[in-house]
Amino acid sequence: MSTLSSPAEASQEMMVHGSLMLGYARACMNLNIVAGRRASQMLEGIELSQWYPLSRWHALEGIVVQSYRNAPPIMLKVGIEMMSLWYHHGPGKNLVKSGLDFLHFQTGGGGFQSVVLGPAATVGEFRLEAFDTKQGCASVYSTTPFNRDMERGVLIGGVLAAGDLDYVDVVAAADTNRLLVEFH
Amino acid sequence: MTLEEILAQDDPSLVTQLSAADLTRFFWKWKGLQKQYGRDTAFYLATNENLKLAYEKLDEQERELSHAYGIIQEDLGVAKQVQTALLPTALAEMESQVELAVFHKQLTEVGGDYYDFFRMSGGRSAIGLFDISGHGVSAALIMAFLKAQFMQVMEEPLSLREIVDQVNEASFDFLREVRRYSTINLVALDADSIRYVSGGGYGYLIPAQGENQQLKKGSHFLGLRKKPYEEHVLPFGKGDLLALYTDGMIEAQDKSGADYTARRLHAIIESHRELPMQEILTRCQADYQQFRHADSDDCTLILVRRKS
Repeated sequence: MSTLSSPAEASQEMMVHGSLMLGYARACMNLNIVAGRRASQMLEGIELSQWYPLSRWHALEGIVVQSYRNAPPIMLKVGIEMMSLWYHHGPGKNLVKSGLDFLHFQTGGGGFQSVVLGPAATVGEFRLEAFDTKQGCASVYSTTPFNRDMERGVLIGGVLAAGDLDYVDVVAAADTNRLLVEFH
Repeated sequence: MTLEEILAQDDPSLVTQLSAADLTRFFWKWKGLQKQYGRDTAFYLATNENLKLAYEKLDEQERELSHAYGIIQEDLGVAKQVQTALLPTALAEMESQVELAVFHKQLTEVGGDYYDFFRMSGGRSAIGLFDISGHGVSAALIMAFLKAQFMQVMEEPLSLREIVDQVNEASFDFLREVRRYSTINLVALDADSIRYVSGGGYGYLIPAQGENQQLKKGSHFLGLRKKPYEEHVLPFGKGDLLALYTDGMIEAQDKSGADYTARRLHAIIESHRELPMQEILTRCQADYQQFRHADSDDCTLILVRRKS
């Protein structure tokens, strides 16, 4: 199993931070969508402070996606649960105070870049590109190699986590690299 | 009253007191809950569908397992028939010299206790009893292998010891490779004596006159060491009785965990020694069956008594 302990060791390959991997695995377990042998397989050898190749992340995603005929609603819920864990049991509460804070946190891709490493062409981006408080809408541009349904869930869960907004929905635009957020 | 205060109560008429801003929030809160309900429903439908698929898969695997089990049972049935066919019937020349009775019970369909009657050079005959390590099909296959080995050398003009040495030599590497070994008790019937070679086998001689004695368990098991065996001779005259058995009988346990013991078996045989052989065997079986709590090993008892 390959891991890197510091960004300095990063190669041309995209690396994913252990905290994201563990958050994903924990969300899957909380939702009971993996259990037993598969749950142990998910957590095996992952440490919070380490970096892992993207292939390891895809293997984790695969455990869920390949197990469910209709995976999108599952991955959406996993994304929401991940952000609930991030906010209530991780550093989230100290970083954002409201749902809109969470969207601002995505400006310039800061949030995303804290958990990935690698060349821009491989890593892609996840950044807030438009934001309108009055209309209650925003647009996030995403070219990451992550599952889009999970990313929709991440945005919904992240915006809802602080509990100050009454309505959030995220849909993928016709251009699937664009996620449209509606909030009130 | 604020939206939160009104929602905390049970009176819907209070909604009329909401400000325009709170009414808007009320609208979005309801829409938000609708969205959440939709997401949760889609999630549960997806997981439920998976549960249904998992049950279908489980059913299919159960059918496959059941089919495979049927095939294995059928194979075991055939294996049992083959193993039974490999067990001997008494040789005519042997029956003219001795009375014989055999109790042989495998723990499963097939097993590792093996006995045989051999025709040797010079018109002699011999009785062999083997306890192959392990149980089941693998032990039964080793039995067939050992039988073939003995059949090859038994009629050669060799002493009993040389026969066992040759079989041990020929099968040593194979038995080591498959990590199996076997006890052996090979007894040749001479005119008024027995010759025997033992490697971990159990035997008990009850002469018509004189003192009973246990056969020397002696040398090493087949397949454990490449070194020569020892051959022993004992008088075996008219009315003398020889019992050969494997550990399955004497190590059988009762409910309290106590062993049946060789001493108990010897006592039963001795106290009924005047009875016909089959009757002695029946008494031994009855006592064993009444004592033992559950079967845990293959079990063989051979009784031999000199006729003349």
